Amino acid sequence: MVEILASQVISGLATGCVYALVALGFVLIFKATDVVNFAQGEFVMASGFISYTLLIWYGLPYWGVFFITIVLSGFMGVALERVVVRPIMSAPIFSIVIATIGASTVMRSTAGIVYGYDVLPLPTIFSKDPIRLGVVTFTIMDVGVIGFSILIMLVLYLFFKWTKTGMAMRATAQSQTAAQLMGVSVKQIFSLTWAISAGIGGIAGVLIAPIIYLDPNLGVIGIKAFAGAILGGFGSIPGAIVGGMLLGVLENLSGYFFNAGIKQVSTYILLILVLIIRPNGLFGAVAIKKV
Amino acid sequence: MKKGDGLKALLLVLIGAGMLVLPNFVDNYIIYIMARLFTYILVAVGLNLLTGYAGQVSLGHAAFFAIGAYTAAVLAESLAWPFALCVITAAVFTAIVGYLLGLPCLRLSGLYLAMATLGFTLIVQEMLLQLSVITHGSEGMLVPTASVLGFEFDSDYRKYYLIFGVTVVMLVLARNLVRGRTGRAFLAIRENERAAEAMGVNLAQYKTIAFAISAFYTGLAGALSAFLVGFLDPQEFSFFLSIQFITIIILGGLASLLGSVLGAGFLIILPELLAGLDVWQALVYGVIMVFTIIFMPFGLSGAIRRYAYRWFGIGVEPIIPRRLGH
Repeated sequence: MVEILASQVISGLATGCVYALVALGFVLIFKATDVVNFAQGEFVMASGFISYTLLIWYGLPYWGVFFITIVLSGFMGVALERVVVRPIMSAPIFSIVIATIGASTVMRSTAGIVYGYDVLPLPTIFSKDPIRLGVVTFTIMDVGVIGFSILIMLVLYLFFKWTKTGMAMRATAQSQTAAQLMGVSVKQIFSLTWAISAGIGGIAGVLIAPIIYLDPNLGVIGIKAFAGAILGGFGSIPGAIVGGMLLGVLENLSGYFFNAGIKQVSTYILLILVLIIRPNGLFGAVAIKKV
Repeated sequence: MKKGDGLKALLLVLIGAGMLVLPNFVDNYIIYIMARLFTYILVAVGLNLLTGYAGQVSLGHAAFFAIGAYTAAVLAESLAWPFALCVITAAVFTAIVGYLLGLPCLRLSGLYLAMATLGFTLIVQEMLLQLSVITHGSEGMLVPTASVLGFEFDSDYRKYYLIFGVTVVMLVLARNLVRGRTGRAFLAIRENERAAEAMGVNLAQYKTIAFAISAFYTGLAGALSAFLVGFLDPQEFSFFLSIQFITIIILGGLASLLGSVLGAGFLIILPELLAGLDVWQALVYGVIMVFTIIFMPFGLSGAIRRYAYRWFGIGVEPIIPRRLGH
């Protein structure tokens, strides 16, 4: 019993790490620009297809593919910010959200036109063979995905903490006006934030597409990541990471105890319960309301 | 009478008359699409009351739509209730569910509320599949023909007039609601909860009322659409439908009944116009959606009001808040 639970937790943690990466993308853009980007999941989908193209059609080596995919995904993020979001930055937040939903429709249907709607196989560098370590069974892929995600989060942490650009990004998130007065180009920071968020989405895409499936609807994973970010407290970076991981584990555990249909339901019932008790998520700051 | 009121009344009468004679001039498919459009207008009005006026974001309206549709269908099939009773019971039942959902959502706002209601949609959709004893699960459900006092609504032509009538009545009721005490309370809550409370608006009461009324409209629309389509497929009631509903009211214009109508028209008619594009349909549709919002960030009704004021001096320059539900 304990062994099975432990392996369920580990494989849940692997999917949860990918949710956490996508959730990070949501939160970074939200903190810096106040925009909720509903096309975040489409970066994951698009990166899956980009890496598929490079690997299968052009036969490039895996690590090269990985690197190129992330860079291309980052460029997609910048393009989306420049073309769709920037012209309406002063519009109501809801209009911007709808614009990103429109953009995600465009991205999804483009993928459908180019690659069709059948599920495509995407190879992974990690082996899917099970390994026994003491009482726990897991696959190299699970551990690889977890390790790699944690590495990315660490790199991001160091970037925000110790580099000048990272500090400029934190400053912009706190106060755009103050940052601008200190000589930070807020527009550049916005673009950079979108590039980083899309880049992380790209990493998530390369990691998860081989685990679940690759088709134009892969972007739906964005909803799971959004739920993770909400669970952790939208706007909190540690919240996004913990929330994403927790959601992955919960989903996997309830999938073990209940059938596939109830698995989804129980996850969302739990999420609603958490929200009723903590209306701003686990790590969310309580909003101060002024009259 | 204010300037432009006469023009507005004339336009309304013309459009109403146009809608009344329309089914005699177009083919059956267009009649069906227009009837579907009316059900979407009902949903849009309901959602706009909750989200546009009261400032409570909901991604749970696909669930309300499903509850209305399935309640009506189950009552008609298993209990063989008369049509009118099925529809009214379905709408009232959905309103009760809306009220009950509103209770735990009282503490939530903004994105958290959006997520909780989205969760509700996902849960209800799964329940439609699991409760196959009454909903027939993934097989879907056939809906019997509607009839009132022996008169059968068995053609799209007849259903069109039925749904058109209901929609007009509900639009008039909504207009009275938003101009009255309740509508003002909704707006006050949206603008500032603390200030509204200080002015004597009972937050808990009005928020749950907003949920109930909104669910009533949506449940009514769901029940009518069940009889219109004649078949219910649980896959239809996914969160995509909720996102479609919220897209309708934002593209059309928040806190605007005109916007609800225009937005529903945009989302129902545009894909039909683009149907010839085959695989390119979704792509072109998405591009049009993005450009519409870039050029009309306050929605279609916001743009109409702005230009009516700027060019003809009719009405006032619209002021639309940047944020909702804070």
